Amino acid sequence: MKTDTKEVPEAFQGLGYHELNAMLNLYDKDGKIQFAADRAAARQYFLQHVNNNTVFFHDLDEKLEYLVKHEYYERETIDQYTMNFVRGLYAHAYKKKFRFETFLGAFKFYTSYTLKTFDGNRFLERYEDRVCMVALHLARGNEQLATQLVDEIMDGRFQPATPTFLNAGKAQRGELVSCFLLRVEDNMESIARGINSSLQLSKRGGGVALSLTNIREHGAPIKQIENQSSGVIPVMKLLEDSFSYANQLGARQGAGAVYLHAHHPDIYRFLDTKRENADEKVRIKTLSLGVVVPDITFQLAQTNEDMYLFSPYDVERVYGIPFSDVSVTEKYYEMVDDSRIKKTKINAREFFQTLAEIQFESGYPYVMFEDTVNRANPIKGKVIMSNLCSEILQVSSPSVYKEDLGYEEIGKDISCNLGSLNIAKAMDSPDLGATVETAIRALSAVSDMSYIGSVPSIAEGNKASHAIGLGQMNLHGYLAREHVHYGSEEGLDFTNIYFYTVLFHALSSSNKLAMETGETFGGFEDSKYASGEFFDKYTQAEWVPQTEKVRELFANVHIPTQQDWEQLKASVMEHGIYNQNLQAVPPTGSISYINNSTSSIHPVAAKIEIRKEGKLGRVYYPAPYLTNENLDYYQDAYEIGYEKIVDTYAAATQHVDQGLSLTLFFKDTATTRDINRAQIYAWRKGIKTLYYIRLRQLALEGTEVEGCVSCAL
Amino acid sequence: MTDQVKLQHHVEAINWNRIQDEKDVEVWNRLVNNFWLPEKIPLSNDVQSWNTLTEDEKLLTMRVFTGLTLLDTLQGTVGAVSLIPDALTPHEEAVYTNIAFMESVHAKSYSSIFSTLASTKEIDEAFRWSLENVNLQKKASIIEAYYYGEDPLKRKIASTLLESFLFYSGFYLPMYWSSRAKLTNTADLIRLIIRDEAVHGYYIGYKFQKNLEGLSEERKTELKDYTFELLYELYENEVQYTHDLYDSVGLSEDVKKFLHYNANKALMNLGYEAMFPSSVTDVNPAILSALSPNADENHDFFSGSGSSYVIGKAVNTEDEDWDF
Repeated sequence: MKTDTKEVPEAFQGLGYHELNAMLNLYDKDGKIQFAADRAAARQYFLQHVNNNTVFFHDLDEKLEYLVKHEYYERETIDQYTMNFVRGLYAHAYKKKFRFETFLGAFKFYTSYTLKTFDGNRFLERYEDRVCMVALHLARGNEQLATQLVDEIMDGRFQPATPTFLNAGKAQRGELVSCFLLRVEDNMESIARGINSSLQLSKRGGGVALSLTNIREHGAPIKQIENQSSGVIPVMKLLEDSFSYANQLGARQGAGAVYLHAHHPDIYRFLDTKRENADEKVRIKTLSLGVVVPDITFQLAQTNEDMYLFSPYDVERVYGIPFSDVSVTEKYYEMVDDSRIKKTKINAREFFQTLAEIQFESGYPYVMFEDTVNRANPIKGKVIMSNLCSEILQVSSPSVYKEDLGYEEIGKDISCNLGSLNIAKAMDSPDLGATVETAIRALSAVSDMSYIGSVPSIAEGNKASHAIGLGQMNLHGYLAREHVHYGSEEGLDFTNIYFYTVLFHALSSSNKLAMETGETFGGFEDSKYASGEFFDKYTQAEWVPQTEKVRELFANVHIPTQQDWEQLKASVMEHGIYNQNLQAVPPTGSISYINNSTSSIHPVAAKIEIRKEGKLGRVYYPAPYLTNENLDYYQDAYEIGYEKIVDTYAAATQHVDQGLSLTLFFKDTATTRDINRAQIYAWRKGIKTLYYIRLRQLALEGTEVEGCVSCAL
Repeated sequence: MTDQVKLQHHVEAINWNRIQDEKDVEVWNRLVNNFWLPEKIPLSNDVQSWNTLTEDEKLLTMRVFTGLTLLDTLQGTVGAVSLIPDALTPHEEAVYTNIAFMESVHAKSYSSIFSTLASTKEIDEAFRWSLENVNLQKKASIIEAYYYGEDPLKRKIASTLLESFLFYSGFYLPMYWSSRAKLTNTADLIRLIIRDEAVHGYYIGYKFQKNLEGLSEERKTELKDYTFELLYELYENEVQYTHDLYDSVGLSEDVKKFLHYNANKALMNLGYEAMFPSSVTDVNPAILSALSPNADENHDFFSGSGSSYVIGKAVNTEDEDWDF
């Protein structure tokens, strides 16, 4: 596979691919961005590295036989099909003449995804091979689905998330699932199980998040003796070390997050672990933090009152349910007045300011707006936490353990597998509905094929819920390609109608699956889907484009009508849906580089993004469809400001049952007050979660490197 | 040459509400915002990558970092402190104390890298090498001589050349590694150091130019001649030092271009024209791109901590912010 056939221009001769790629970040003598250098880098990467290091086979039969025999591939995957079909599928994939658009796309794929010899030195797969194996694996013998998957993935419309794309079809591999969420209850067995489960799940891949809200605070009594508990910090330390220990065959570093409720008495200790001058004993370096914030905290801040923090130990004794499952907003004043509950107080505005200070220093914590999330949740139960990327929002229930850590009662923990549509390519799709359906089928297949026996609460939760998360990426790339500014009236209009349309197809597909399998997710009867309530906002109001531009963009894409929704509602109420959760918009780091997308539905971080990762080093990525002529449409996230980003996410959020990873971007001239204002704005607009705060600090004038694209002041 | 660094004889209470030079406040704020400690970087994530280096590469890396440690120690304990007595404003003195402290943080950072990646024996050997290497010792002693010398402006020249020029033969290597996906967390830490040194060199050079104002043409010429002489002396030594270090991995020619580039940069900080023509300053684009002291990379949080976070400015929210 060659990336292009043109000769290398004279200026680039003799340079290695890393140097060529870095030239993207340096203007040429006319002040133009050197896109050609990056294309040359991709080409040189193949010539200098990939082609020389790829194991050669005469034909597909020989290759597959070798890979199965040497335990690189699972025989079962291929045995579900006739060899004739498999040959045809590969030929079909290769005929599409796939080329990586950027150096980073190719580099990322060959560094992190493709199958390598066991010594790690030589490549065994090309991009087409990986796609075919993923399709064959996920289609489970269904030739039609396998073909559709090859089309959707090769044409760039659908991209499975990293764990699926990396692992599917390989014999030595981790799980296909992206994300796990675990509850931890206020007892030693549950804490120990939490640590064990984190190790088990990290080993198999995917990020793990744990809710620590129910753990009694520092100084709480143990066996009624006061001042015994050491609170959540030592548990965080144990988890941090556990995640560093386990990684997925070195493919991905173990990564974890912990969530704590804002009204937990250890909240300041929790946040202080990320301070620049935190003592080594309490400093948390690699564990991610998230805070669960209910509406009441905002109301207390509004009136500038103190906020009370409640001992989880006492709350659980008073209400008979874990602290996380109590609505703090609803019970706040009741708990304040209850003398049985020990409480401490801090100032609410000071709390928000502290949150912002820590975010300045570290980017953390994530924030989940508890009441917004639960109001929008169509499933019975309470959402108490989110995950490592703050886009998974599902209900859970506690497990009860025996002394030997066996299960007295298996509760419900959460897993989610993800995959994203490339919005630009999806809009170009000959049939958007079919694209969404293929994606939903692929994601459901991952759920069906996963049973993680080492963590029964996850395995059972997945078996009952078939939860998946269809995401979206390349919004900014698409808008720019169509000459629409991100966050403009037309941009918001598009986002609204696009997500509205995707939701319709996602629900229809899940409804189809329920009819085919005769199975709905556990608890469907108690959901707002079963009652029909969920559909009110679509059957009672008309959703149509408000601008001429968006009507044009949808000229060839059907926008569901109120009548369509009436029919769907009737069918769902009769037959149910297969998946408890359908959509979640992840931050899409790696896969968006391979897929040539902008990340998620964010604005670009820079026209030429400087990407740094452990396995890649420092590399440069041009925004998709960017040229020296259309630079105007690629205003970066720091210039765009938080309002337009929040508005865009709000337009999408109303059609997404789970969450959307929303990063806020600030220049270093911002203050904690600016961050707080952005948080208030996001909460008011109905945003469910906030992901990282990213800061951009420009060099002091006079110290910058001249002629570098990312240095433009 | 006297043995003692001159100390401030006379102390006045510093009043930050009477600012003579706005640059002092700007730089002070920038330095305070940029405060960091090595503990924030998960250096241990580089252990795996360290093990993929060849023995020659490891040795080179250890030596480069001991060399940098020596320079930072010199700048922290003598250099920045020796500038204090000649400060034009009390705020300038305060900035130098900050610079001195951060130089000590830098010196300690290298030790964090060593202790994470290497054994005590390897560390001790690298330090012994730094004592015995003629060129390294020579550059330290050239600079040190001026710190102890009588001419305050020459001290500033020496200091700027150290901050903006002499560090960079060492900085080259971690930037090179990180462009090849090696030791990326170490590179993060070095980028934090580069971020600081860029401001230090710029500020001391700026103060030098302030000091030049109102001097006789004769004295100005003397200082300029002196600058170019000193730079040339240092450059010759630096070229040998570079060969000493980098010949084993074949990077010497590339590093020399980088030296030219930074020599010009140091001269620019002092307000002088470039010494090397652009034909010999065409630095490897991968290094030049990595050098930008902007903190704007889009890092992956799961494998590193990034170099963009700063101590934020805390401002209370007001009632109007909570009007909903």
